Amino acid sequence: MYDLILDSSNSELLIAIAKDNNIIDRIEYEAWQRQSELMTFELDKLLKRNNIDKKDIDSILLPIGPGSYTGIRISLTIAKIFAYALNIKIYPFSSLQILKTIKKPSICLINARSGRSYIGVYDDENIILKDTILKNEEVIEYINNHPDYDVCGDLKYLNLNGKTNDKVLNMLTLKQYIKPLDSFHIKPVYLKD
Amino acid sequence: MEKKITLILQNEEDTINLGRLVAKYVYPNLVITLTGDLGAGKTTFVKGLALGLNIKEKVLSPTFNILKCYFNKPLNLYHIDAYRLEDANKDIGLEEFIDGDGVCAIEWPMYIDEYIPTNRLEINLTHLNNNKREALISSNIDKLNDLFEALKG
Repeated sequence: MYDLILDSSNSELLIAIAKDNNIIDRIEYEAWQRQSELMTFELDKLLKRNNIDKKDIDSILLPIGPGSYTGIRISLTIAKIFAYALNIKIYPFSSLQILKTIKKPSICLINARSGRSYIGVYDDENIILKDTILKNEEVIEYINNHPDYDVCGDLKYLNLNGKTNDKVLNMLTLKQYIKPLDSFHIKPVYLKD
Repeated sequence: MEKKITLILQNEEDTINLGRLVAKYVYPNLVITLTGDLGAGKTTFVKGLALGLNIKEKVLSPTFNILKCYFNKPLNLYHIDAYRLEDANKDIGLEEFIDGDGVCAIEWPMYIDEYIPTNRLEINLTHLNNNKREALISSNIDKLNDLFEALKG
């Protein structure tokens, strides 16, 4: 049985298939504002080229925010419909935690626009700072106060070089700590409400 | 420094041409706020802006849609009409377009003011008579100095 991994919570489109924690195949590229038209098409392509039947998927892993307001709901909607139709569970992740470096405390950041960032600080499965939204000045101060932490994410908006880690690998490693839910019990996390 | 200029637009074509001229000076992330009564020419200005950006798609008012995206190279155009957001839930992800990768033109900006940076290009249109309009254009963005030079000429 297979794990299906989806992510459109930010500017990227990501679909991967894993079995026993090994990544079998993946499609991953920048698709800002285009994920809704591409995701189901790419998903179909990925399943077909690996000769995987939908019925052989037994769990879905995906980040549920924070991130792009529309982007979060694209992959989540697809995941919910799959989970409902196939009667399988969804493993919901923080979009921030899956950016972290394995075995190192990591400050994970996503651009929240208007001079703010989504921030979460993680040491593997342990939460050091719960996902929240901060002004960019506060984020810079936090980074400066924690020089031994990795800073992860696409940080061009802060003029910083963020570390890029493999989100799929992170999700597979963290899966054991996440409580799976059925499609009716998963809510997107926007952090702006 | 605050720059300000008042122009008289004799007809619809003048409003379109103002949009075309502004298009030469826009850049990613720039916000243009458009104020003025119904029929003052806000959407007409955006039509000119789109023409200047070489967008082939027809520009229609996004009063119903709230946001229309014109994906275009080298610059995307986002057209927001916040008219229907007065006293409504405004938390609908507009900041991804306002602080985004394109130029963003916003009609009825007062209804989503908390999402709009103070550094902006403001255009206020007033209907004078028949076809005639007055455009009050102002901005505190230094990058737009050349635009204001061009508007004077």
